[in-house]
Amino acid sequence: MSSTTAVEKPQAKAKKANRRRTFSKRDRFTLGVFIGVPTFLHVALVWFPAVATIYLSFTYWTGIHIGDIQWAGLANYENIFFNTPIFWDALRVNVIWLVWFGAIATPLGILLAYQIDREIRGSKFYQAAYYLPVVLSLAVIGIIWNFLLRPDGFVNGLLGLEISEAVSFFGDDRYNIWVILTMASWRHIGYIMLLYLAGLKAVDATLREAASIDGATEWQTFRKVVFPAMAPVNIIVIVITIIESLRAFDMIYIIYGSSGGLPILGVLVFQNIAGEGASMKGAAYAVILFLLSIVPIITYLRQQFKEDMK
Amino acid sequence: MLNKITGHEVDRRLLLKGAAAGGLGIAGATMLAGCSSDSGPVSFGVRTVDESPVKQAQAIVDAYTAKTGIEVTPNFTESNAFQNNLSQYLQGTPDDAFQWMAGYRMQFFADQGLLEDVSSVWDEIGDQFSDSYKIASTGSDGKQYFLPQSWYPWGLHFRKSMMAEVGMSPDDIYNWDDFMAALKELKAQGLVPLAAADKGGWEAMGTFDILNARINGYNFHVDLLAGREKWTDDKVKEVFRHWEMLLPYQNTNVLDLEWDGAMQLLLQKQAGFFMNGSWFGGNFLEQSQEDYDDLWIVPFPEINPDNGRDTIDAPLDGIAVAKNGGNPGGGKDFVQFAASIEGVEAQLATGIPLTSANNLQDTSAYDPFQKQQQAVMAEAKYITQFLDRDTRPDFAGPVVGPAFQSWFKDPSSTDSILESLQSQWDALAPL
Repeated sequence: MSSTTAVEKPQAKAKKANRRRTFSKRDRFTLGVFIGVPTFLHVALVWFPAVATIYLSFTYWTGIHIGDIQWAGLANYENIFFNTPIFWDALRVNVIWLVWFGAIATPLGILLAYQIDREIRGSKFYQAAYYLPVVLSLAVIGIIWNFLLRPDGFVNGLLGLEISEAVSFFGDDRYNIWVILTMASWRHIGYIMLLYLAGLKAVDATLREAASIDGATEWQTFRKVVFPAMAPVNIIVIVITIIESLRAFDMIYIIYGSSGGLPILGVLVFQNIAGEGASMKGAAYAVILFLLSIVPIITYLRQQFKEDMK
Repeated sequence: MLNKITGHEVDRRLLLKGAAAGGLGIAGATMLAGCSSDSGPVSFGVRTVDESPVKQAQAIVDAYTAKTGIEVTPNFTESNAFQNNLSQYLQGTPDDAFQWMAGYRMQFFADQGLLEDVSSVWDEIGDQFSDSYKIASTGSDGKQYFLPQSWYPWGLHFRKSMMAEVGMSPDDIYNWDDFMAALKELKAQGLVPLAAADKGGWEAMGTFDILNARINGYNFHVDLLAGREKWTDDKVKEVFRHWEMLLPYQNTNVLDLEWDGAMQLLLQKQAGFFMNGSWFGGNFLEQSQEDYDDLWIVPFPEINPDNGRDTIDAPLDGIAVAKNGGNPGGGKDFVQFAASIEGVEAQLATGIPLTSANNLQDTSAYDPFQKQQQAVMAEAKYITQFLDRDTRPDFAGPVVGPAFQSWFKDPSSTDSILESLQSQWDALAPL
């Protein structure tokens, strides 16, 4: 029996190889369309605008007539780094956002996922309750919380404060960033929780059983057995945390419009690109935001894959 | 093969001929519809979704359709969204006619070739407007691109009943010392003496404009906004020194309220004065007739006797025609109607108060609040359009707005804010 399979295998392989090498015309056309059309769309709608934005960040342009584009070299970047104090405020807010998400919101999401995975009582309820904000778009979340925390809103009404004496949740620099971060975490925790839960389900239960037989505590089990086993999910979670914190825009825009109440890089891009006073400073902000996001992600991924290759 | 399925014997050639004829017919009809552009349907972009202005816009549309039989489609957009997207809107598929503002904000788009020249409309109905309005509607090439519809002054608003209760007579407030004394008195009564808002970034520009014009004069104000004077000048520091004196008398959550939040303070009788444009009279009227009748306005007090009260912010709102619209000819005809006395009368028929830019409006029919607005305007020799309409848009919105907001957060940082404003002006892209 083994000899027949040994003979069949090379024959089957040859057949497969043959099949792979000769595609009928129809196959090639189908493949061409299925790969070609999405690739074309991707290049036209994602890559071309991205490259164009990088080029435009080195020009002066109001965005109206292509003939008006003037080369500006690094002028926009100099303007941003040396002449625009609000840029540094926005950068500070984004970094605080990143640290908060990385140190508080994401770990809380992971913790929740781990607890729910252990099927504690009511885990189905917790799952639904924590995931609910994720179903809402950030804009809707902004509207809901704006309604709650405005000077003439629900919370100030509960506190019995008149409009003129209302707590300035969004205007006062002492509170506003923490209020916004709590609102963003409300959604982010559920999002991370769900990603991690899906990953945890895939972890082999025997690993955990083996660890508990060996006498490991919960924390040791998590740190030494489960966490390393979740390496692919960890990558996704970390990348998402970085992107979500640097990309924040919807909620801030809903609450503050494009004014500078709580400056963040996303709103600075919008303020300088959209609107009547469009200038390529917005493109420069976009490039800065892009570099801020992509550099840590690429560094992290390179490090991870280097380890994998080892 | 189709014939075999349906069981009918349809001549293929006949089918093809019929389809061609039908297609040609449809194409021909569309082309003909496009040809008769002057009498085709017109689209009208309305820059608001608030109740009263929407009713007024609808009234113009209905009256125009009733008069000419041409169908007009109004498209209502929230004003911030409309303003933010105007550049893309005008380059893409704009409405034929749209509501906009006078001043540099209009000239900028005219210079880019996005507005239709409406000088021919001015030739027909230009006598219905005063000369200063014609100047405000003219682009940098001497042609007109805009038709004014309405104006409102910026001044100190208050409720007559509240002032009577406190025993104050704001009409007697003439100079800064009177004003400070009045604010002190109001504070002692437990009210917010001066309601203020700046969440949107633009509301505080009204206060800056009037302080600058009062302290330093109209010419300095215009020169500062055009970049001929420096923000780091001591004169501007003087403006902020006076502004700082007002801060203790304002509500503390200025950065948390937009103009309608501060208006609520006045509406709910929590505030004494409200320095704003008079457009919110419509909101008071929506609340009740008594609230509207209670509303009054006086000019901002004099600070520098050299300047008196000679300048006022009185922005001009109106209507323009987009060059890339589907029907510019129809658009021109529509704006002529809308800005003329017929359009004004259609709006007045809604019962909503309107201070129109049209000379022919029967001002004897004005209610007392409107007459007072006119009196406040008449006292001023010079009219400015408002900071964000009088200067470069890439300076007003992204630079000055946040600068004022950060000043409210830390009023002692005046010097550094002014230095940053000047360096950001210097670093602006060349036009």
